Amino acid sequence: MAPIVSVENVRASYGGTVALDGVSLEIAEGSSFALLGPNGAGKTTLVNILCTLRRPQGGRALVAGNDVVRAARRARRSIGVVFQNSSLDDRLTARENLDFHGLVHGMPARQRRLHIQRVLELVALTDWEDEIVRTFSGGMRRRLEIARALMHEPKILFLDEPTVGLDAQTRQQIWEHLDRLRTERRITVLTTTHYIEEVEGADLVCIIDHGKIIAQGSPEALKEAHGRRWLQADVSDTATRQAILAHYPHAQPLGPRSIVAPVGSLEAEHLQRGPFADKVTEIRYREPTLESVFLSLTGRDLRDRTDGEKEAQLAEGRRGGHR
Amino acid sequence: MSEVLALARGVYGVWLREITRATRDRGQMIGGVSRPLIWLLILGVGLNPYFRGEVYGQVNYVVPYTYLQFLFPAVIVLNIMYTSIQFAVSMIWDREFGFLREVLVSPMPRPLILLGKVLGGATVATVHGSLVLLLARFADVTLSLWQMATALGFMFLLSFGLTSFGIILAARVKSFEGFGVFSNTLILPLYFASSSIFPLDPSLTQTQAATSYPEWLVFLTRANPITYAVDALRGILIGFNQFAPMMGPVVVGGMAVVFFVVALIDFSRS
Repeated sequence: MAPIVSVENVRASYGGTVALDGVSLEIAEGSSFALLGPNGAGKTTLVNILCTLRRPQGGRALVAGNDVVRAARRARRSIGVVFQNSSLDDRLTARENLDFHGLVHGMPARQRRLHIQRVLELVALTDWEDEIVRTFSGGMRRRLEIARALMHEPKILFLDEPTVGLDAQTRQQIWEHLDRLRTERRITVLTTTHYIEEVEGADLVCIIDHGKIIAQGSPEALKEAHGRRWLQADVSDTATRQAILAHYPHAQPLGPRSIVAPVGSLEAEHLQRGPFADKVTEIRYREPTLESVFLSLTGRDLRDRTDGEKEAQLAEGRRGGHR
Repeated sequence: MSEVLALARGVYGVWLREITRATRDRGQMIGGVSRPLIWLLILGVGLNPYFRGEVYGQVNYVVPYTYLQFLFPAVIVLNIMYTSIQFAVSMIWDREFGFLREVLVSPMPRPLILLGKVLGGATVATVHGSLVLLLARFADVTLSLWQMATALGFMFLLSFGLTSFGIILAARVKSFEGFGVFSNTLILPLYFASSSIFPLDPSLTQTQAATSYPEWLVFLTRANPITYAVDALRGILIGFNQFAPMMGPVVVGGMAVVFFVVALIDFSRS
């Protein structure tokens, strides 16, 4: 079966910074595809190219068989998009936002009414139908946006970090709902996220870093191929971290006061008995998860802990070097 | 056919959103009502007795109307200018708060999105302009239905051009604050230099006019497109033209076309 989304060697850059460096991927119809990577990896850029907001600077992208540059309007007809940042009009009511969406998608009045009711029920916002969006909480806005993206029954749904800032329960509901839709209507879902637990249920996971795809496969296959058990040790100061790193060549730094090493190259006993024993505050093993897959592939933690290091330094600076 | 209908719905949707937003924007409504009241009640009433040349000093030229009648069409234009050009804020708002993306990923072609927006802004501006018409009786201007209809049509054309102009500005301004300053330093000078609050004697040649008014002011007024908009509206409402009667519709129609095309080029590029 022909893929419903196919991307061939797509490149993009902002000024001099490369955002996408020759990305290729294919998404099968009716599947759930997850694009996983840290902030700044190029996920949003790729979504913007696929929903025709940005032209690729090289390569080709087809959405439902339509080239996103040459047949942009036709490509747009088959997609629903939830952007990373809200794109609701917060001076309109929930229903007015949905009605607007229906109108710009050319839906007749009766169909709009019907679909508005349906999607509002879906995200449990029926009681807030006539409230101005400005009064909504972050979670409610998110749900409304998802409802809106589904209103015109698109073939493909792009979700750019759809559950950022939502509580666990809402997130769960949204995913259950999306899964049901996928099986009922064969809707294809592309999600970008940096929440590992959200991609575990995806059919295909694509790990992206620095604008390049570094691994692709089902969550199980990825864990099998790249997942290793890691040993993580937290130490009391940076000097100790440096000393351990110097001592064990396989160990890698992880944030200002932690190191990781593949199990086998470094054992817990080494640290517990060795010269660093009293400086090591905690030792734990990390089982093969997609998070450790990412760690194996890039040597970094997914959730911006390298940024965390910088931030920790800045915070220290703000405190004037005092702890 | 259904394709055309679908696109028409889209334009209607974009238009409707602008109207809905405008009815919820109290500040703009208050401005739209209070501005003409201030201009007509205070400036108009205050200057009314001083307008006739025969009483004070040498008589060069007499406008056969009261100052309130003379000022009335200009205040309509002022109200339209404010609302149209301020409409750009809605454009900046869409861009900064991300709503624009929602429209851009819809199957609507860009030119129609812009058309819907400009029509929306022009409708709101025309409504604000016609608020002034409610004061016609007070300004001693009697209107036939035909005059009303022609005036509304002309006001809409003017609103369309100025709204497009506002959108062109919006594309070049990065922030709300910047735009506020910008629009105020633009609207009032254009308004004052449009023969809106004082007449320019049409029977004088350029050199003669320069003896009663400084040359630069005469030049500015003649070069200012708003002059012809005010003049045309005066022609429609009180039957008084200072310039060739065809100048108004031609200049205002030209503005509408040129500004919309430039706005469209800007919008398609973004």
